[in-house]
Amino acid sequence: MTHLGEMISAYLDGELSRPEIEQLLIHLDGCGRCAADMQDAQIVRSAVRSLPLLELPAGLVPEAETELVSLHRNRGFLVGAAAAVVALVIAIAAIVTPSAATVSLEELNSRYGARASLDPAFGPAKVVVPDLAQLLE
Amino acid sequence: MTESVPLTWEEVARVYGRKIYNFAYRLTGNSDDAADLVQEVLLRVRRGLASYQPGSFEGWLWRITRNAFLDDVRRRNRRPTTPLPDEVDRWSLASAPAADTEYSRISIGDDVQKALLELPYEFREAVVLCDIVGLSYEEIARAVAVPVGTVRSRIHRGRRLLRESLT
Repeated sequence: MTHLGEMISAYLDGELSRPEIEQLLIHLDGCGRCAADMQDAQIVRSAVRSLPLLELPAGLVPEAETELVSLHRNRGFLVGAAAAVVALVIAIAAIVTPSAATVSLEELNSRYGARASLDPAFGPAKVVVPDLAQLLE
Repeated sequence: MTESVPLTWEEVARVYGRKIYNFAYRLTGNSDDAADLVQEVLLRVRRGLASYQPGSFEGWLWRITRNAFLDDVRRRNRRPTTPLPDEVDRWSLASAPAADTEYSRISIGDDVQKALLELPYEFREAVVLCDIVGLSYEEIARAVAVPVGTVRSRIHRGRRLLRESLT
């Protein structure tokens, strides 16, 4: 029997097409080895994903907008974190000198807005001294 | 069609700095190396932003991050699997938990970090980009410059090896 090992992790990560999902589910029904493989992959995936998201050491990146950071802290609310990230990006974009580089605001909003609302540990960096900025001048 | 706004390296630092730090920390188990990498990546981002063409920003950023990491490893002339023993999950040790359940959770975290460090580099990188950084397979493929099928294979084989070393 051809086993479908590599499709198992892709399935758990939401990376399979509909026909592939059907193929895998039919296979799993009759293959104890792949079913066990699926269970193992699930355990390991959760274990790695449950590692804590570490804080940046202080002073490593330029100072964040402290008012916005404290706003989201005070609310203690996940939506607040998402709003702070989005507002920060918009506020900074409005005042900085434009460089040649561009990226889609909508892309940032959807990606980080969504992530912040799912992950309470994810938010604007809370750091102090912009050493790197001075270094670069 | 989405609207584009200027992105500065300071914004990249604020939005992505912590993710870059976590990427490097989970690959090396060393907080000093991870901090060095964040600074190096931000320098490269600053230089590179002028010529950045709108497209997959994630792919671009993580390709820079990954290359900076590998350059650093080469420069130090050592294998990326060499952690300082007492550096493993320093954050967990510093958090000084009181409850037994906390200890058990942290011990599991240490085991997972150690198991990650034992993985061959390509597998570790794929697993960390997927499960720690949260990239899609396509974004990982762009960052690492391999086909999506290779990413799929590396992630699954990486998880299999992790499972073996965790049991």
